[in-house]
Amino acid sequence: MAADNPIDPIHQFEISKIADIRLGGIDISFTNSSLFMVFALAATMALFVIGLSKKSIIPNRMQMLSELSYNFIANMLRDQVGDQGRAYFPFIFSLFMFIFFCNFIGLIPYTFTVTSHLIVTFAFAGLIFIAVTIIGFVKNGLGYLRIFYPSGIPIFLAPLIVPIEIISYLSKPISLSVRLCANMLAGHSILKIFAGFIVMLGFLGFAPLVFLVVLYALETLIAALQAYIFTILTCIYLNDALHPDH
Amino acid sequence: MKILLKAFLLTAPINFVYAAEGQKSAGLPQMDIATFPSQLFWLVITFSLLYLFMWKFVIPRLGATIEERRDKISNDINDADNLNTEATDILKKYDEQMASASQESNEIITNSKKAMLDHLETLKKENEEKVNSLISESQAKIKAQEEKSKIEIRNATLDTVKAIVSRYIENIPSDEEINKKLN
Repeated sequence: MAADNPIDPIHQFEISKIADIRLGGIDISFTNSSLFMVFALAATMALFVIGLSKKSIIPNRMQMLSELSYNFIANMLRDQVGDQGRAYFPFIFSLFMFIFFCNFIGLIPYTFTVTSHLIVTFAFAGLIFIAVTIIGFVKNGLGYLRIFYPSGIPIFLAPLIVPIEIISYLSKPISLSVRLCANMLAGHSILKIFAGFIVMLGFLGFAPLVFLVVLYALETLIAALQAYIFTILTCIYLNDALHPDH
Repeated sequence: MKILLKAFLLTAPINFVYAAEGQKSAGLPQMDIATFPSQLFWLVITFSLLYLFMWKFVIPRLGATIEERRDKISNDINDADNLNTEATDILKKYDEQMASASQESNEIITNSKKAMLDHLETLKKENEEKVNSLISESQAKIKAQEEKSKIEIRNATLDTVKAIVSRYIENIPSDEEINKKLN
């Protein structure tokens, strides 16, 4: 089996069953993907349980870390959406922490990156897209349709602008999910390929090793950055739904 | 870079072959639809748990802690401001008191200087008067003594003249005669 080959860059994305579970004929087995979702959940819980175990005015390191992430997302939401966004803070905060930990845990060798699977990122993006659309119509009624026709555009351009706006609106969940998934997929594949070079080149392997170290630093940055981008784009979409005039 | 390029050229075809062999009929693992229900199911479960955890536990507690700290800081700043105003007031009061005290002491100094000078003046005057009266008294005494001496001298002279004359003549001249002669 080629899947056992150490330098197969795709092998790391394969899903293998840990416990076979079926529910009404649907395969909902507990897989390695599920395991790492649980790990991300556990890591987030650990951070906050430890961070909040001693609520003190002068925070210790773990409390500092949890407050830092809280303030980071709270400020992002306030800057992008304003005070109306407060109701969505638990979701945005959970979203960021989950993607952040999925991305980061995936950087550890021999682990699985949950967010490298399009179905996972698309589930998030689709949920956000549907939720944002519902929020938009609930808050603005049919006035939400104004987002397809920005103010200040001459009427004769409407036949051109409106279809473009509709397409760009509908492509939001695709771009959102593909961006995160592709970044994870590509980054981890390249890491694996270069790790494979080290093994294959033997003594000369130090050259790709140096490259791998640099690349790993870059991937660490990307893991954080993509979680940030996913979250901030969610905030922007939410803002569009709450204030379609802007 | 040359080594890297060489390594890439060497391994790329092998890699490609392995990758091609490693692929299942479904292609990328990401495209294996059979795994989707399981992934979605566990994603919903884990993310819902995370959401509940964040919503019910993390956010209220963190928010409360941060709020508490903000309140404490603003309270402390208020307290510090109040204390600062108080201190400024006290300093102002102190300065005022210092100014009035120094003014008072200046007055006291001026007054006592004046009083001292006045006292000195009166003392001087008194002493002068005393000295003057003493001088005039002494002068009067001297004058009286002089007069007295003069009379005594005259009387002595008279007596002497009388005594001398009585030796030689019987007839003793009267005082007036002698006086006339002496003058």
